[in-house]
This record gives sequence, C-alpha cells and structure tokens, in this order.
Amino acid sequence: MSESELNRLREDLRVTINELSKTYEELSLLYRLTESFSGATVDELCDIIIEEITTQLNVKTIAVLLYNQSLKQLYTKKAVGRWQVDEETLRRIRLFRDMLSRGRATTICDVTTMEEMKGLGFKSILLAPLSGKKSPVGLIVVADKVEEEEFFSGDVKLLNTISSFAGLFIENAMLAEEIQAFFIGAIRSFVKALEARSLWTAGHTERVTRYAVEIGMELGLSRKELEKLRICSLLHDIGKIAIPDQLLNKMGALNEFEWEELRRHPVIGADILSELVGFVDIIDCIRCHHEHYDGTGLIGLKAEEIPLAARIIAVADAFDAITFDRPYREKKTVDYAVKEIVSNSGTQFDPLVVDAFLRWIESTYHIVMSDTKSGT
Amino acid sequence: MAKVMVIDDEPFILMMIEDKLKRAGLQVVTLRESKSAISRIREEKPDLIILDWMMPEVSGIEICKKLKSDPELSDIPVFMLTAKGQEDDERLGLSTGVERYITKPFSPRSLLEIVLERVGTK
Repeated sequence: MSESELNRLREDLRVTINELSKTYEELSLLYRLTESFSGATVDELCDIIIEEITTQLNVKTIAVLLYNQSLKQLYTKKAVGRWQVDEETLRRIRLFRDMLSRGRATTICDVTTMEEMKGLGFKSILLAPLSGKKSPVGLIVVADKVEEEEFFSGDVKLLNTISSFAGLFIENAMLAEEIQAFFIGAIRSFVKALEARSLWTAGHTERVTRYAVEIGMELGLSRKELEKLRICSLLHDIGKIAIPDQLLNKMGALNEFEWEELRRHPVIGADILSELVGFVDIIDCIRCHHEHYDGTGLIGLKAEEIPLAARIIAVADAFDAITFDRPYREKKTVDYAVKEIVSNSGTQFDPLVVDAFLRWIESTYHIVMSDTKSGT
Repeated sequence: MAKVMVIDDEPFILMMIEDKLKRAGLQVVTLRESKSAISRIREEKPDLIILDWMMPEVSGIEICKKLKSDPELSDIPVFMLTAKGQEDDERLGLSTGVERYITKPFSPRSLLEIVLERVGTK
C-alpha cells in the first residue's frame, strides 16, 4: 500500500471516529433525556430542556414557548437570559407561527434584517418546533451564542434531538395534567355536594386539605406524596354522605348512639371508594383517618400501621374541628387547639406529625411554642 | 502529561475515547483484552484507568479488585464503564475501590471533562 493510500485511510478513520463520537454523544443525550423526562411535569420538562440546552450550547437566551390549542396562540412558558417578548409581540411574529408546523429546527443568522423580529434585540437565533403526536406543542427559541459566533449544523442537530423528544413528553405531561385537573375537579365537586348538606361543614374539607399539605411539606414529603395526601384530604369525609342530615346538623351534644354512627364515616368512606380500583393506599388512608396512634381507635391500628397520610389528616382535621364552630360546641382559639393537639400527641396523634404541625403553626400564626412541645 | 489507560473489548469505544483524550493532550494506552490487564498496568503505570465492567474472560470488577489489593498499584484511580441498568450493582462495586461509575452510552465530552478534572494538572 502506498504512503498516500495509507494517509487517505488514516484520514478516513479519523473522520469516522469523529462522526462516531458525535453519534455517541447524541445517543448519550437521548438516554439522559429519556431518564430525566420520564414522569416529569410540564414545568419540570421545560426546566430540563433549558438546563440541557444551557450545558450543550453556550447561548445567552433560551425560551420555551407553548402553543395554546384553544386560543391558537403561543405563550412564553419559561425563559432564561434576555427574553422580554410580550404576548402581543409573540402573536405578531409570523415566523414563530410558521415554525410550529415544521418538522425541523432552523437558524436565522441575522435577525436584524427581518422586519418583524428586529425589535427583539437578538442577532442570530435558532428555532426548533416542539411537536406532539399529531399537533404542534410549542417552540424552543435559542438566541445568540456567548462567543458571538453563528450557529453550526451541529447545534441544529442537537436542538433537533432535544426538541423532537421533548415535544412528545410535553404533550403527554399536558394530557396527564388535564386528566389530573379533571379528577381533582370532580372530587371537589363531590365534596361541595357533600358539604352543601350541612352548614357546619362548609369549607371544612378545603381547609383540612390546606393544613394537611402544609404539614406534609414540613415533613419533607415528595411532590408525589403531597399529591396523594391532597387527594386523600379532599376525600377524607366522603363517608359522611351516608350519615343522616338530622345527625350532621343536630344542635347540642350527640348521644352515645349518635357518636357511634358518626364514627363509622371513615369505614363507610373507604367502602364507597372501593370503586377506585388500584388506589388501595388512598382507600386505606380514608379508612384510617380517625385511628389513634396508640391503637385505641375504631379499627385498632397503631403507629406506623396507620398510613402516614391518615396520621397527618388526623391532626389537620382535629385542628379545623376545634377552631371552627360545630353544632355541638362553639369554636375555640388557635392556642387552645394547639394545646389540645399537643396534649394528645403520642396517644391520639403521631408525635412526629404533631411536631411538624407545630413548626407550621409557628411559621403561620407566629405563636411561640416553647412551652407546648409535643410528647416526643 | 498524564497517562490514561483504557481497557474495553469494544473497539469503537476504545478508538473514540483514545481520540477524545489524545486531542486534549493526554497520553493514552489502550487494551482490548482483559487477561493481560494487570501485567500491562504494572508496565505502564498509568495515572488513571478507565475500565469496562463487562468484558469476556476477566471482568472490570475483578481487575479492579486485584489492582486494589496490590500495594504497588492500589493508588491508581479507576473509572468504571457500566451498562445501563447496572446501577444497582454499584453497591457491590463500592468495596472494590472504583472511584467513579460512568454509564454507557456516556457523553464523550463529559468523560473528557471528568478525566481532565482528575488528572489534568499532572
């Protein structure tokens, strides 16, 4: 083999390895994206997109625009850098709208020559459509490299990889959020219907939900756990639907028989919710939300046998029951409620939950709790 | 100039890492089969070893264990290349003295970054 042939082969090999390296880089990016994208919310997806573009391309400005299907308009979902484009301007830029239906990214080397874009203050931009399975989802706008260079074909390829993937994930996440919103909305409507039967319980569920989520946050629960806690709190009293009106609205003290009947509502609630196949943990939580930490409750579960969400709801529920009027007694002060809950810590309530509750109370009501520490 | 030894049975991975590291000015020694790894490491005395876990004959973990029990070689840091889904095995590997795990397919660019971070000042 001649020297020149050998050199040509060497050069070929060098180019091949270089190409291989780029492909491998892209492959690793895809793997990383699959991992970080899965299970993410729309907000988290946008954060990941921006973070990934920031590390891959050294640019000054990144914006993720989403397309509102019903208004047929783009809006800024998330942006970093010098992105100061209002909705009105966004609507006017035809190029952005046209890009939505395109399959691939495009660069514009000199934005300043374009009438509709020159006001934005960018020099060169790179646009990539975010596409769902059938319809456009949005647009990624990347502007001006830090080193003032133009965008290369490698940059376009990279953005294409990210955007083609991200579009599908955003579409899915939007759908999931829609379903979730419908689900939560349906639960809220049930609760409203339930609470409409009794003046005394109006707003109780929403307040308990708020308190429970606050306590959950103090306990450091994850986003998923908080979401579950929220659903459980909204549903916790659903069993009261089977409690007769005259009992729910009875003025004055309840007799033993009436208490017995009222106390069954967690179990009735769990029974009603047994239709929620696959949500055993939610049903368990509803069933257990009046269990006592020391095992003296209706079912007799104790400590960790009671789901954490139920132990949290128990405290939130008690706090609201004490601080609001009930037909059988008048409301008491926050101070009184706190003392009452603390004195039942370790017996009725989980001490760790009570501690978290106290931290939340301290930060919300600015009450100093030094003399009312729970029994841990 | 720091010397990095790369041991992997996949020729393309080997070529790719070699090319990337050499361009950054590092000295690179590659090895495609694992049987002679220990003796080659003893010969070359690299500053860092990038080792593939899954290799026929002798696995990367075995090589690493031998390395760490050899007082002459035990100080050489080892980066282990693993396949996806093998993360669970990391706990197993922790006692073998692997300094860093890199999941395949890795980004050649970030591999270079962490290699330079480790031996770049040599």
